[in-house]
Formats: sequence, structure tokens, C-alpha cells
Amino acid sequence: MRKWQVSIAACFLIAALFVPLLVPTDYTLQILFRVFLFAALGLAWNLVGGYAGQLSLGHAAYFGVGAYGLALFSQLGISPWASVLLGVVLAIICAAMIGRVSFRLRGPYFALCTIAFAEVLRLVAKNLPSVTGGDVGVQVPLLFTQSTIRSFYWSGVLLTALAFALSAWIERSRFGYYLMAIREDQDTALSVGVNAARCKLWALLISAAITALGGALYASMFLFIVPDQVLAMDISTEIAIVAMLGGAGTLLGPLLGSVVLESAAEIFKNVFKEAHLLIYGVLIVLVVLFMPEGIVGTFTKKLGLYKKAPSAPFRAPLPSTTEEESQRIAVDE
Amino acid sequence: MFNWLYAPLQAILNGLLTGALYALIGMGMALIFGVMRIVNFAHGAFLMMGMYATYVLFQATGVSPYYQFPFAGVLLFFVGYATYMGLLRRIRGQVDFMVILLTMGLALILVDGAQLVFGADYHQINIPLLSKNVSIGSEMSINAPWLVSFAIAMVLVCALYWVVTRTMFGRAARAIAQNPYAAPLMGIDVHRVQAIAFGIGSAVAGIAGALLLPVFYLFPEVGNQFKLKSFVMVVLGGMGSIQGAAIAGLVLGVVESLTSLYWGNEWALAVDFVLFILVLSLKPSGIFGSQRA
Amino acid sequence: MSLLEVKRVSKRFGGLKAINDVSFSVKPGEVTFIVGPNGAGKTTLFNLITSVFHADSGSIHFDGRDISHLTPNGAAEIGIGRTFQLVKPLRNLTVLENVMLGAFLRTSSPAKAEKEAAKVLRFLQMEKVLHLPARGMGLPTLKRLEIARALATQPKLILLDEVVAGLTTSEAMRLAVLLKRLPEWGISTIGGIEHVMQVVMRVADRVIVLDHGNLIAEGVPQDVVHRPEVIEAYLGSKYKEIAS
Repeated sequence: MRKWQVSIAACFLIAALFVPLLVPTDYTLQILFRVFLFAALGLAWNLVGGYAGQLSLGHAAYFGVGAYGLALFSQLGISPWASVLLGVVLAIICAAMIGRVSFRLRGPYFALCTIAFAEVLRLVAKNLPSVTGGDVGVQVPLLFTQSTIRSFYWSGVLLTALAFALSAWIERSRFGYYLMAIREDQDTALSVGVNAARCKLWALLISAAITALGGALYASMFLFIVPDQVLAMDISTEIAIVAMLGGAGTLLGPLLGSVVLESAAEIFKNVFKEAHLLIYGVLIVLVVLFMPEGIVGTFTKKLGLYKKAPSAPFRAPLPSTTEEESQRIAVDE
Repeated sequence: MFNWLYAPLQAILNGLLTGALYALIGMGMALIFGVMRIVNFAHGAFLMMGMYATYVLFQATGVSPYYQFPFAGVLLFFVGYATYMGLLRRIRGQVDFMVILLTMGLALILVDGAQLVFGADYHQINIPLLSKNVSIGSEMSINAPWLVSFAIAMVLVCALYWVVTRTMFGRAARAIAQNPYAAPLMGIDVHRVQAIAFGIGSAVAGIAGALLLPVFYLFPEVGNQFKLKSFVMVVLGGMGSIQGAAIAGLVLGVVESLTSLYWGNEWALAVDFVLFILVLSLKPSGIFGSQRA
Repeated sequence: MSLLEVKRVSKRFGGLKAINDVSFSVKPGEVTFIVGPNGAGKTTLFNLITSVFHADSGSIHFDGRDISHLTPNGAAEIGIGRTFQLVKPLRNLTVLENVMLGAFLRTSSPAKAEKEAAKVLRFLQMEKVLHLPARGMGLPTLKRLEIARALATQPKLILLDEVVAGLTTSEAMRLAVLLKRLPEWGISTIGGIEHVMQVVMRVADRVIVLDHGNLIAEGVPQDVVHRPEVIEAYLGSKYKEIAS
């Protein structure tokens, strides 16, 4: 089953490279760029949220740091691509700090903490206009000077390929096993020597790096960013939903989720115009109610295929049965 | 003119007044999140609904929000009850993240719905009370509406505390939170109690919206800032502690007000999150640290 | 030379003294059972040894090193394996994959981990269920799964918490036979058990009796069971006279 997923994805990605030659309009390419961008972001999120089961709602932090990294470092005279790299490094540092605090928390506390960090970053960006341009925004250099839209599109496809390859490799490594063990039962994992804190942190660092790259690409395509655009909770939510809709904890999930969600969002915008957010909300509600395991997860369940781990689809952990366990919701000792 | 003693005192006073409303919103969330462990991201949207409902009623009848707020409460009680019975009940066994997503989706529907119905413009109402001020000594004053909402909020806070701690219903809700498997064995109709509790928590948010209407701009996204704030209050106050969330609300109001005074309005919001992160890192069980209601 | 030395360890939770000044040692290749009525402190002792929490006073030495302040995964790394009273399998993985998790402590290659896990499962006579998901398994299998996972970490000492609780007597005895073979693999065992005394008598080299956090008796099984303090702890003082 896993080999299937890898082959399907590989064919898809290779085919995707040829799309610009068939599609004439820049507008369509822009939308497709967004599809691949969020596929990559979803795959990155999936490392932490899907495999490790740590459902972060603050990934916009890394996205925004990548975006602002490109913008601000290049203002200092550093070349755009070097600025991207610096932005990624900065995002990794942020992830290290955020992870250290957040990973000690469990359940909703973890999610809320990630939200808090992302919001703090957003507010800092808003309130320091001398550094970040504040709400007015800041210019972002162009990363590609030729065949601009096509180049962005291809970079989106490449980023997705990178994220996918990383995920596929992690999935069948000891690291991947450990992440899933942490997701299923962290105490059991600890008892067999898994250094849960370190594993979760590494997953987050890798996730943050890819997310930051995505942020930089996104920023460069728009040439101008403001905090409420790249550090907004909406981005965090969209990333998480893309992965969950497609199937968190699976390889193809985030890819599929992005294709479905981003296309749907685009269609909604054109068909429903003002009501598109409402329809989007309805979509989220329906997915949670009827397809909590995402497309890939539900598909697998319906076909009765038991997927050999580590490709086992994300399954919501059962609630704690003892008061003692639920009292320890907040913090790991 | 910056007066070194009276300015902070006034700020603290204003902070307490704002804090009372925060406390109300926070208590509603404390019942829903602290006691029932439901991560309700639609709490702000419910506040917004209460605010719009009051606005509509005010435009139609001219009755001051300070008299008609119970209607917002009743309306949101039913909205909350229906939300639990229709949506949340179906995913009760699942992990919290699903509840977050579900309530986020619901919030989107409500907020965008409000925008479709009322438009994105900002609305405001004018009541005679707005121009009245109560003086405290010679240097400080309170804007009358805030005093009234403070009083109402405090009464409701006490009432809610009484309901949760002294009634059978409150005990049932807490029992379910502590042991969802044993509670039904004790004869508790789990879903009904939780639906009622959720309804009460939402009603409180709606009432807070009504009380906010005279002193705040009304627009579809007005609830967003209160949504995250209410989580902060519950965590600050300690999970399961209704009174903790209320006190945290007052604290938050004062801290925000002082931050506004010394560092400017923009940082007031940030301070909420910084406090939140600090408490989560240093004392996750909250300032009033009890994990039991 | 002891493998494990517990010296004057105490632990209290709020007002309750869960472990009070307990000392004992375990030699390599030995099978020790900690026996005691419910609430005696067996699980607390296990948690202290595996650093789930730390003792208020006293020290614990393993293989010559002070392990009083490790982390749970640290304890596993230095060779202390454990099972839990409430079985906690990774439900969405197969039996084999569950055990591979333990094997991964000593190798990073999935292929080698799989081989090692299969070896352990064969020892525990579980070949038939290797590729079945853990969530469908019955309690006896899950208990063995717990042991297999701990064994796959190649421990020098394994702590078995109520490993036969919930099993019928015949299932328990079958498991006991396997446990008796652990010393062949160079593993010392400490079992925590409440009342399935036949297993204790059959398997244990030494028995330690805990009551309300205090160590009240220590010695060979046949000897300890007859001691008045032990009988009193289990059955009450009325029965103490019967023993003497």
C-alpha cells in the first residue's frame, strides 16, 4: 500500500512539472502554485500533527518567519536566496523555542500554546513598524526574474516533492516508528527508551524548515507582505485542515487534501462570492462529522485494507479512562 | 497629561470594569472548557450573536441592552444547546482537535452568516447613559455604562458560581467531567447535562455581547478577540475553577489596561498571550491551581 | 555483586507515605517477587526504579550506577525493562510492530528490529499472532505482548507489574513457566504480584513482602509465606494466631 502511494505521488509530481506547458493562463498557474504550496505545507505539518499526533495550530509562525526572513534580511543587502536560507534557520530556532515549551503540554493545551506563540509573533510584527513595517507591510524581493509565474509553480512542485520524499523516508525509519508510538501512547514509548521530547522536537524542526521555505516562496510571489496575511491563524488552520481532510498520518493525505481543499476554495470564491467562507465552514463541519480520518483514512477503512504501519491512518486516540490520567492532561512530568 | 498616581489608578479602575466583562466571558468558557473539557472555538461567535441580537432588538424597540440582555441569554442558551445536541454530541469520543476544528467551522459559518445578513460595516448604538460619568474624587471618573455592566456582570458571575457549585446540575456536570464513564452509571443523563451546561456557557457569552453593545463597535468578527482571551482566562485561572477564570478575567483587564497606559494599546493584546505562555510554562495548573472544579 | 540496590527509599504523595524506608537488592539472574496486598506500594516502587518519578530520600543503584534521577526512557536505555499493570499496547499497530518498538532501542534498522522482535515473540510462543493488529487481541496475548516488548529492549532487569492479573490460573501457570526461563537469557526479574501465589511459589527465587509501603518480610518463598507478619498483612490479625 505504501509503495502504491509513493508511485502515485511520484507520477503525479512528475506530470505536474509539465503542466505549465499546457496551461496558458497565469491565473490558473497561480492557483496551482497555491495547491502545491499547501500540499507541501500540509506534508510538513503532517510530520508533527499526523505522525507524531501533536496537533499544532500555530504553524503560521514558521510560515511568517520564512516570509519575513526573506523580506527583512534582503533589506540588509543580503541576496534573496541567502535570505531565504537565513529565514529557514530563524524558523528552526523559533521551532526549538516553541517546541521546548509546547511539547511538555498535552491535548488542547498544546494546541492553544502553539496558537499563542503564533499570535505573539503576529502582534510583534504588527507593533514594531520600524523593524517589520508593521501593518503597512514590507516589500519582498523577487526570487525568480524569468518566467516568473512558471518558476514559482515549479518551485511549489519541487517543495512538495521534497516534503513528500522526506515524509516517505521518515515513515519507514526508526524515527517514524518512534513518532507514531509517541502519538499512540507516549508513556509506553518512554518505557521502551524512546526519547519523546527529542523526537517531537526533531519532527518540529524539520516541519518548521519546510514551512518556512513555503512562506518565503509565498511572500516572494506576492512581493509584499503584512502580518495579518502571513502570520494569521487562518494560515495555521488551513494547513492543518489540508492535512486532516486528506488524511493525517498518511503519505498521500496532505497532497490529496490540498488538491481538494484549494480547488474547492477557489470554486467557492467564484460561485458563492460573499458566502464562500460560510460554505468553507460547512465543509469543515461536514468533514469533521463524517470523515474524521480524512479522505485517505476513510477510503482505507471502507476498503477494509489494513495498512501496515507506519502508514496506518490517523486514528483519534481514545480518551483517558482514569481520573489520574485525565488529571495529567496538562503537563508531562 | 500623565499624572503618575492617578493615571495608573484610573487605568486599574478601567481595567477592573473591563475585566468584569472578561470575567463573564471567561466563566462561560470555564464551564465549557474547564468543566466539560470542550474546546469551543465558537465562543466568540456566540458573543457576536448575542451582540447582534441585542442590536436588532434595540433598533426595533429602543429598550436598553442593560434591560434586555436576558433575551440574548435565552437565545444563546438554545443555540448552545442545539450546537451540543446536533454537533458536539456526535464527536464526543474523539480527540480535542476535532472539537476545535468543528467549532472553528461553526464559527466561520456564524461569522460569515452575520456578514451576509448585516454587512461588514461597523455598527454602534447610542443610549443616554453613555454620556453620564460618575466621578471618583477629583481626578478619576467612571463612564456610567461600564459601571452598570460591571454590576450586572458581577451578579451573573456569582450566580453562575452558585449554579455550578451548589446545584445538583452543577454537580452532575462536574461529575461527568471527572469521570465520563462512571457518571452515566450514577444515573446522570450525560448528554442532556452537557447540553445544558454548554447552553449556559453560551448564554453567558451572549449576555456579555449584549452588555458590550453600548461600549463597543459591532461587526462580524468582534468575537474573535474574546475567543482566545477566554481560553487564556480559563488556563490562567486553573482548569475546572470557575472562580479562577473570573478572577483571571479581572486580572487580565487590569494588566491590559496598565499595558495600554505604559506601552500603548497595541501591546495590550500581546500581553494576554505572553501571560498565557508564561503560565503554561511555569504553572500549567493555573494560578488557582486546582484541577478539580 | 548486586544488579539492583534499593537503599532506604521513601516516597510520599501529599500526606500519604507510599514507600517507607525500603531497602533490598537483586542479584543478576535472580527472580524476585514483590508481594503485597492492594495499595502496598508495588507499582510505586516500580515507578521509582524506572524514574517515572523520583524518591524523596534514599538511593537506587543499578549496575553500580546511581539511577535515582533518570528519565523513564533513560532507565530503559541502561537496561531496565518494564510492563504495566494496565496493558497499553499500541492498538493500531500489529503485534510484531508493537514489539519492534522495543527492539528499536538497540538497533536503528527496521529489518533488524523486525528480526529481533520475531525472535522474542517466538520465545513467548506468539508466532500465530505476529501480523494481527493489537487492538483485537485478548488479555493473555496482550500481557505477553507487554513482556515481549520489554524483552525486545534487551534489558538486564525486567519489572513485571501484575503480569498475571486477569489471567486464569492455567494461563498464569503457563506464563510462569516461560518467566522461569528468563534467567537463561541473562535477565533478572522482579515481579509485582498481589495474590496469585502459585506463580510466586513456582517461579520466585526470593520473595519480598510489602505492606502499606513497608518491607515486612524477605526470603525464600516457602519460608516467607508462613511468617505471622505476612499472614496478618493479608488476612488480618485474627489469622495470625493460626500461623504460629
